[in-house]
Amino acid sequence: MSTVAVEVVYRGIFQKTLARNIVRTIVFAARKEGKIGTAFGRYGDSPERNGIPAKQFAVVADDPEELDETLARYEPTEVDVTINVDDTLCKGVESWAWYGLQPINQLTKPDGTLIVTSWQDADSLIRDMHQKDAPIGLSIVKGTVSFSGLWVYKDDHTDVRILGTLAKVCPQLVSLESMLEAIQEQMDNETKVASAQKSFDLASVRPVEPGEGNPETPYKFELPGWKTMEEGVVIRGIEAGAGFRGGDGGYQPVRSEVFKKYSTRSMRPVINFETCIKCTLCWLQCPDTCFDVTPDGLYDANMESCCGCGVCEAVCPVPDCVTMVSEADFEDNNSQYEMWQEDKQGYNSWMTALVDKQKAETRTHGFHHVGGYAEEISEMTEA
Amino acid sequence: MTTVQDLPQIKGVKNIPLEEQFTSGHRTCQGCESALVMRLMIKAAGPRTIVVGSTGCMYVANTTYYSTPWVVPWMHTQLGSSGSAATGTAAGLASMMRKGKMKQEPINVIAFCGDGGGADMGLSAISAALQHDEYNLLILMYDNESYANTDIQVSGSSPWGANSTFSPPGKVHRIMNKRWKKNMAPMLATGHPNCRYVATACGSYGLDFNNKIRRALTIGGPTFIHSIDPCPKGWDYDPKFSHELGMLAIETGLWVQYEIIDGELILNGPSRSIGRGIRKRKPIGDYLTRQGRFAHLTPEDIQYFQTKVDETWEKWWMPGVIPLTMSDE
Amino acid sequence: MTTIAPSELFQTEKEDLISGSEAIALACALADVDVITAYPIRPYDTVMQYVSKLKADGVFDCDFIVAESEHSQFEIVKHASSVGARTFCGSSGVGWFYAFEAITVTAGLRMPVVAMVGNRALDDPGAFGTEHNDALAVRDLGWMLYWVATAQEALDTALLAWRVAEDPNVLLPMAISCDGSFLTHSQAIVNVPTSDQVQKYLPPYDRGKLQLHPDNPITVAPQVNEDWLMEIRRQSDEAMQRSVSVIRDAYEDFKKTFNRGDPSPFIEEYMTEDAEIIIVGMGTLALPVKVAIRRLREAGRKIGFVRVKFFRPFPTEELRQVLGSSKAVCVVDRDYSFGSPSFAGVLFHELRSALYSLENRPMMLNFIAGLGGREVHVNDVNHMVDIVQKAVDTGKIEQESTWIGVRE
Repeated sequence: MSTVAVEVVYRGIFQKTLARNIVRTIVFAARKEGKIGTAFGRYGDSPERNGIPAKQFAVVADDPEELDETLARYEPTEVDVTINVDDTLCKGVESWAWYGLQPINQLTKPDGTLIVTSWQDADSLIRDMHQKDAPIGLSIVKGTVSFSGLWVYKDDHTDVRILGTLAKVCPQLVSLESMLEAIQEQMDNETKVASAQKSFDLASVRPVEPGEGNPETPYKFELPGWKTMEEGVVIRGIEAGAGFRGGDGGYQPVRSEVFKKYSTRSMRPVINFETCIKCTLCWLQCPDTCFDVTPDGLYDANMESCCGCGVCEAVCPVPDCVTMVSEADFEDNNSQYEMWQEDKQGYNSWMTALVDKQKAETRTHGFHHVGGYAEEISEMTEA
Repeated sequence: MTTVQDLPQIKGVKNIPLEEQFTSGHRTCQGCESALVMRLMIKAAGPRTIVVGSTGCMYVANTTYYSTPWVVPWMHTQLGSSGSAATGTAAGLASMMRKGKMKQEPINVIAFCGDGGGADMGLSAISAALQHDEYNLLILMYDNESYANTDIQVSGSSPWGANSTFSPPGKVHRIMNKRWKKNMAPMLATGHPNCRYVATACGSYGLDFNNKIRRALTIGGPTFIHSIDPCPKGWDYDPKFSHELGMLAIETGLWVQYEIIDGELILNGPSRSIGRGIRKRKPIGDYLTRQGRFAHLTPEDIQYFQTKVDETWEKWWMPGVIPLTMSDE
Repeated sequence: MTTIAPSELFQTEKEDLISGSEAIALACALADVDVITAYPIRPYDTVMQYVSKLKADGVFDCDFIVAESEHSQFEIVKHASSVGARTFCGSSGVGWFYAFEAITVTAGLRMPVVAMVGNRALDDPGAFGTEHNDALAVRDLGWMLYWVATAQEALDTALLAWRVAEDPNVLLPMAISCDGSFLTHSQAIVNVPTSDQVQKYLPPYDRGKLQLHPDNPITVAPQVNEDWLMEIRRQSDEAMQRSVSVIRDAYEDFKKTFNRGDPSPFIEEYMTEDAEIIIVGMGTLALPVKVAIRRLREAGRKIGFVRVKFFRPFPTEELRQVLGSSKAVCVVDRDYSFGSPSFAGVLFHELRSALYSLENRPMMLNFIAGLGGREVHVNDVNHMVDIVQKAVDTGKIEQESTWIGVRE
């Protein structure tokens, strides 16, 4: 009996179409070999929120009875391949509909594979991933993480490049031929078939040994029972805030203990506290109440709340005072203001490096203007 | 009528209260302008406030069981019930205070609804609430121009031509939503003589938003605010542009910022200078071509859209506000 | 309208000639209800006509809100209840159905709203007369349901309703069903208690830690997914189970305070001792049935009657006790359940499942009668009894459910 399950972990809305293209093409490719399959998204993730992690699955089996064995449980408990289409999700996944942080490799079978689209090298990706007690393989599809919105799809071939890689790292799923056939049939585009072939040829797997990766235990949440839950569908509100870090000056709201926005973020702001003119706009216009107000009137983005939308950068009137940089460049969620307080010079050079790096590799989060995606893609192909 | 709280107009961004009543725990989209609207709304209203929220994004994504972003007391109400929820909450408080069953104190009552809950299903209940001038309450309609929570279905408040899961551009029919957006605020202002305050607002103008909330809560009786909330999910744009698109909606003259206080209309912000002819409206294309939901529009479509916007400013009896023209006879 | 001058009302115990609707309106005043919402529909709205007059005359102080629809009517009291206000509203027939969404969330949120249902046939075609399908439709939603038979019982039950619904161990809404016209539009002599008596009996509504108020900043009814709903449903189930003993205690206390009432709060028994055939029904049907039984008893027939007062929580134990020793049970339904297991009435099916586990199950026959307000006469009752008697004598049930008085 051979059933193969694949999950695609993606950013809600931004990558919904991308994930859908991947899981559907997998099933069509399997049909080429007379296998049966199904493709679906976690119902608990819908309605999706843009940027908030979500999942889709493709399950392929030799015959319908085998397929039922897996489908008897709505969400697979383990998958042969985990496809992560945004490398910042290597830090873990917290869907909007559940509690607790799920390591990116949680469902990946022993000796299964994790495919990640990223410009990062294996070591920096593994640093973000939680440790597992079994070995898995890591295969990187080099490239800029692909984001687009609900209505207009950015067809930068990410879908087929992943499918090509998948055919290489998981031959028991489908042959390359079937995959290419399905791509041609589904997408009716020779160049996409070629991209898939190219990715297949380039694909390699880096073994990830037990004990490699982030040693932290991911945040877990124990669900209370009906006897301890309050009646009347009541929960307690958030407590009133106080001064910055509990002191007299500034202000810091109390924040939710059960849901932090760590995994909802693919970028985060870095602040130049020395060019800040204290205009209040980043703080005032933040939809996520993420700025703590310091006693000296500066604004410290608190990573418990920030979901990385970039509005603070957009409203800041000072050039390079607030800059959104890739979440991948951070190992922790520490306060930038405190870093700056401890070592201003060190902070400034650290910050400047991040800002320059960001300018080198622009990360966009969807639709900018009609024709924008075409421009981005031509830039990519030139590079 | 119970008394109102002392919530003076805020002079300058530096004087906006630091205290937050809407913090974290919500799971809204990146760049969700409606989440900002919630935050600005309750920041201006303060801690002695009860908020009731009808079904929609600001219910489902904001308060998923066991986590809540609200510091103030908050309760869910049904999709079409923002008006009834505000009335019921205010009536309960008023009755018990009057009868000495509860400490006498002005408590703000705010009910919010989305455009689906407000402009569609909840319209009759909102209308009824605005007739009860014995109750102090505010109904805030946060308008992201679709049933955004349930997957972006077209609502009576969606713009002409917008892509949605119920109005997808197809091979035969490019424009599936042929309805023109409902003109909510003027409809309610002109239809409810006892309602002393109706306003339009936009989260992109934080201070203005704060002050409109305060005016609504202190003028006495039932009041209504309609806010335009750019929605990165349903409008399809990079979340960092939420703020800018809010401003563009106003600068193109598509959205008009004003207050109607005791029947007197006061345009404010960019709308004021547009209304006075001091400022030229930006072309509507600058707004439409920035959003994926309009990506299928042809130049002719955009021209048609422009003509409709021009009409509101050039032909309407009260430019941008009331779609009537005076007969010559 | 009451003949007692507003100023004298509730000072001393008084008799008055009033309808069931008016009796419940007086109960609202006695209970010092805070928020009451109205919307016109026959026949329940007579209660609101009286309430508005009582307020206008200054008999009691409440926020009386005429809503723009039944949906808003029920939503308004739900929210008034959340901040701790004592509430009352009601409806009839399709009006009750128009409020259905609000009705279900009221129970889900554990709001002790008390409502009067003036039972009315469901449209279409629009019939004003009584039929129990309107109130019965909410039987699975967490509402306590009661059917009264007299104006006096309507007043008494309303007072019991707030006492039970607002009990911290229950916090569930309760609907009092009054048969349209028979109770809502005809007067009877009713004993009206004093405010002092009622105050002794009915403590103030205290929502405690669940009260929505700036001093108790809670979040009520955040959206849940599959991880939570079963636990929340289980809590409501527990509350409904707890209500049984709360009702019993509240009723005992009622009898002590007001010196009237039946042995049981859940059912009324009439000549059931030694009865071989027991008729079971709800509401004003009791009147013709009792008259018929008196005559049948004179003729030596061993017939009894049980009136089901509480339909939710369903008095399973009491009914097993009474009906277990009978030969046959004759269930009269003023409602119908299309396509149901026996193509019969709702009460019949509920009762049969309640008796299923009995060792000696009585025969069970069902009669559909009085739909749309058609009168059920003594002759109709005799006719039913004859059919049941035949089944008892032959040991054979020819037809499980029979429509009474329907033209062929």
